[in-house]
Amino acid sequence: MGMQRLAHVDVTVTDLDLAAAYYTEVIGMLETERDENSVYLKCWDEPNHHSLRLIYGPRVGFDLMSFKVDRDDDLEEFERRVLNYGFPVRRVSKGERVGQGESIQFETPSGQVMELVADLEMVGRATSPVNPVPFVEGLPGIAPPRLDHLLVTAEEVGDSTKFFEDIFGFRTTEQLLDGQGHQAATWLTVTDSPHDLAIVTGKNGGLHHFAWWLDDWDHVRRSADVLAYNGIQIDVGPTRHGITRGNTIYFFDPLGTRNEVFTGGYRPDPEFPTITWTEDHIGRAIFYYEGELNTRFMTVHT
Amino acid sequence: MGILRLSHVEVRVPDLELATAYYTEVVGLYETAREQDRVFLKCWDEQQHHSVILTSEPTYGLNHMGWKVRYREDLDHYTDRLAKAGVDVVRYQAGEIGPGHGEAIRFTLPSGHVMELVYGMQIVGNLLPLVNPPPKPINMVGFAPPRLDHIFITCEDVAGNTTFLQEVLDFHLTEQVVGDDGFQVATWLERSHHSHDIALVTGKDRGLHHFAFWVDDWTAIRDTADVLAYHGVPIETNPTRHGATRGHCIYFFDPAGNRNEAFTGGYQVDPEEPPITWTEAEMGRAIFYYDGVVDQHFLTVHS
Repeated sequence: MGMQRLAHVDVTVTDLDLAAAYYTEVIGMLETERDENSVYLKCWDEPNHHSLRLIYGPRVGFDLMSFKVDRDDDLEEFERRVLNYGFPVRRVSKGERVGQGESIQFETPSGQVMELVADLEMVGRATSPVNPVPFVEGLPGIAPPRLDHLLVTAEEVGDSTKFFEDIFGFRTTEQLLDGQGHQAATWLTVTDSPHDLAIVTGKNGGLHHFAWWLDDWDHVRRSADVLAYNGIQIDVGPTRHGITRGNTIYFFDPLGTRNEVFTGGYRPDPEFPTITWTEDHIGRAIFYYEGELNTRFMTVHT
Repeated sequence: MGILRLSHVEVRVPDLELATAYYTEVVGLYETAREQDRVFLKCWDEQQHHSVILTSEPTYGLNHMGWKVRYREDLDHYTDRLAKAGVDVVRYQAGEIGPGHGEAIRFTLPSGHVMELVYGMQIVGNLLPLVNPPPKPINMVGFAPPRLDHIFITCEDVAGNTTFLQEVLDFHLTEQVVGDDGFQVATWLERSHHSHDIALVTGKDRGLHHFAFWVDDWTAIRDTADVLAYHGVPIETNPTRHGATRGHCIYFFDPAGNRNEAFTGGYQVDPEEPPITWTEAEMGRAIFYYDGVVDQHFLTVHS
């Protein structure tokens, strides 16, 4: 029982058609459903209804992050734990949210809305369940196989990290300590990937970026080609992280939400010891090749 | 929480020095302990004491495969489950099986393979510091895989053994080749939510088809081929892709005749997803997607 993986990210956009065009044609996600104020998208290799929901709104921002749990029973247990921690929990009935069953929603200590859900509608991968080909021919854009992780901002990284560890069993694989020894950023996992969620110092409620998984470094290069061809603003990369060891590119969607494509990393066991980065190594921790940060990367978020 | 992943394999080799030289200098594993008849090895990015044990015996093949469990209680839990299934279980204390080894239980699958579940193997760390580590060590020898990935065994009754792994040990079936007669010819199963941790193919009981090391990506598969060819290691199958698991791979043999693989790619899978099915007519593509024909050498040679 327990937490399984990141399920979907919901963001608000000020131009639904422009955002949908970008996420389908440049990223290469597949639109699975559209209603008056939302577009639902999935990657080609994802079995469930959506991993990204675009919601029309008056400003660009972060609506919520949704994590998949093993069973419906887990919702009750996590509801109890979140309530005990002193945070109100809202039950969302089956039928209220598109593409999924019952869920619970609550705010994290840093003000992001988090959702837990066990029952995600199965629409199937883009490949056949009988004699499948190993990829899908002719997809436009980057065509990542799946969503990978997200990074949120928090005024008190340490408090948020403890919340995710204590209540949900996240494990801190890496941490960046400031000169006073406080956590300036943390990387947490519930799977065997180096991070499913990361938290960095910033305003409460913020989204720094969300990231898709890519096959390998060659896929990172092809992504850079696709982004440049389409005139997308690249923030950083292609490069490598010291933290997580992943290879990466950061860029912005047309409305200003930061995206990442990511590959590599390692597979930590549950007892994996936390790797520590010290403030004097922050450049290499974030961008291993450059060895230094750009101000935009540290200050711009949605 | 149960079985996490493949922990280690113990293979027989008639020439311990030759096999050790191959696994340390061509593959690029690190020796962590040595006894008169056994050598213990690990990959550079593995935290635990060993993932490959070489045992000096006059022949080749698999002595046992070890699987890591999350909690000590998992050993008790599966001892009960196995007892209820009529399977004898032997318990070992930490260190009893070998240096650095954890607490373990051992039992025999219907196919005759000895399987072990292990908890608490000694953590020796990977080759990187825990403070400000570089992403990989520099100047490693061989193709230097970061970790062991999966094992592929042969058995007479694939369906029966697959059911045993599912029902008694909670493995999840991800892919299967189903023959025209409706029987499973080969199956792929996981515990780690990756495309497979173990696979079974029709053949003699107790057989080892191969065990596989993970490598970073397709470029690392090419680099592996370069290293193998340089050292004169017999390459059985050139860099190619599997239909089943979608992985990229290369197959080759250690000096004793045990088949090795370097593997990358694949996909993530949720526990409730139904298996992918390959029909007998498409078995060639299931195994080697680019060639698309059944390779008799690949299907019949094992150790």
